[in-house]
Amino acid sequence: MNIEMLLLIALAGITALSTLGVLLSKDNFYAAMYMTCTLVLVATIYAFFSIEPVFILIVFVFVGAIGMVTVAIAATYRHAPERQLSVLWAIPVIITAAVLCYSIYTYVLDVSVYSVLMAPLTHYSLKFTIENFITPEYLLLFLFLTSLVVLLMLSALNIYRSDS
Amino acid sequence: MPAIDLMTLSIVYITAIVILLVGYLTAISSKDIVRLLIALELMFGAVFMSLIPIFSMYANTAFAVAILTIFASGGELLVLIAAIAMQDKKKKNISTSSIRIGGDNV
Repeated sequence: MNIEMLLLIALAGITALSTLGVLLSKDNFYAAMYMTCTLVLVATIYAFFSIEPVFILIVFVFVGAIGMVTVAIAATYRHAPERQLSVLWAIPVIITAAVLCYSIYTYVLDVSVYSVLMAPLTHYSLKFTIENFITPEYLLLFLFLTSLVVLLMLSALNIYRSDS
Repeated sequence: MPAIDLMTLSIVYITAIVILLVGYLTAISSKDIVRLLIALELMFGAVFMSLIPIFSMYANTAFAVAILTIFASGGELLVLIAAIAMQDKKKKNISTSSIRIGGDNV
């Protein structure tokens, strides 16, 4: 196991712990902060795989805009919400997680797969390459999607004003 | 640049599943729309995470899907944020129990 794999495992572990923070925190504000932290860590995993454009999109568009608005709203309604979570929900969750872990474990330990897994990474690696992603088509897509978001907000503002 | 092998795939997908399950649990355990918004964002985080392996085979397609997902989920969450503001303005309450229209009784 090389240092990159260890780093990925550490990042994934911290992401999972941060996600659990959302579930366990009683204050909306802290839950929103943990959620933001989780999304930044997901973006960091993208950066780990050298997919920087998606890292930038997630951090600046998703976390920077939507995440921060969520944190602001959560700070406004900063009261401990009532919980309706029953401990019985833990049973299907544990069963699902156990089945998934077992299936992945047995798949990894399969002889044919095991030989591939333990072989030198350079022979079986798949390189991430994003070639020519800044093309006029993608710029047009960006433009359309940004227009969509602006239109959605204008519609929401219109409904909000008409209600008042 | 790290390689993507079976172990890497497992780590990425297990993390995505953990985020998704916690998102579901948060959604069903909340009585508050803000908490529901946070749960939805977590679920979208899991979707972003699960897109990573596609970049190893179809990078350009995966990038286009990622852009669409980010903007579509962003738009959806913005609408929910606007709905929360309107709900608070109308009913002075952001509890999910105060929403009487739509949905099923489970």
